[in-house]
Amino acid sequence: MPKTKVPAVISTFCLCFLFWVLLTWSFTPQEMIAGAVVSLAAALFTSGFFIHENAFRLANPVRFGALIAYVFIFLGELVKANLDVARRCFGGCREVNPGIVKVPVELEGDYAQAMLANSITLTPGTITLDIAEQDGKTWYYIHWIDVAETDREKAGKIIKGRLEKGIRRIWQ
Amino acid sequence: MRIVIDILLAVGFVFALAGTKGILQMPDTFCRMQASTCITTLGTAGVILGGALYAFFVMGSVSTGIKALFIGLLIITINPIGSHAIAKGAYKNGVRPDKEMEIDDYGRDFNE
Repeated sequence: MPKTKVPAVISTFCLCFLFWVLLTWSFTPQEMIAGAVVSLAAALFTSGFFIHENAFRLANPVRFGALIAYVFIFLGELVKANLDVARRCFGGCREVNPGIVKVPVELEGDYAQAMLANSITLTPGTITLDIAEQDGKTWYYIHWIDVAETDREKAGKIIKGRLEKGIRRIWQ
Repeated sequence: MRIVIDILLAVGFVFALAGTKGILQMPDTFCRMQASTCITTLGTAGVILGGALYAFFVMGSVSTGIKALFIGLLIITINPIGSHAIAKGAYKNGVRPDKEMEIDDYGRDFNE
């Protein structure tokens, strides 16, 4: 079991308590105290699994602003990809050209890489199958519904689009 | 406001229909999974945003709307983990498309 650290407990507690308040949406003292106790217990047990790096990294306003900006960047990409896949589906499902490409990624840190992989998977048309480290670089294996480009660098540019830059601004 | 809600619900419905058609008609397993992502992203986003706006402005109940938004947040965070695991598991268990894939780096690197 990972070690429990105080900053990690505090930040996990804040997140749990925020969720509690938003879910119950009642501001009587009894509810708040019960929420605080439950959140503290949950934070004590789970913070070691939840937070591995600096616990207050996102408390920085610049990084938080980058996170908000990233949500909009991601929504834009999401709508574009959704329209593309929906068009293929309504067009009789014949216009597909699937394949698995290997794409280099220049992000460092577990959170950043996981965030990019999940964003790519959430975008219709691309699913991240695996992450591998080779020659000191990180590679994603991505199943792509329409392989427009077999060259790794160019395929990476098409798939990642503006996502990678947005994520680097959050976690650098 | 009712018009906005109806438009959002209709958008969600259209994308869910597209995803369902894709799941039924796509040629192989991985492409079917790609089509299903369509349902979980804009399909649910449209319906959940519409439902949340309905709760906020028509029912006048803030807590119901926030719960609807939470459902959307949870689906958005959990879905990619599931699709990644299913796709990787299918590939490792030897599921392959009938037609030869355009390029298959994963098979070349791991399945000698």
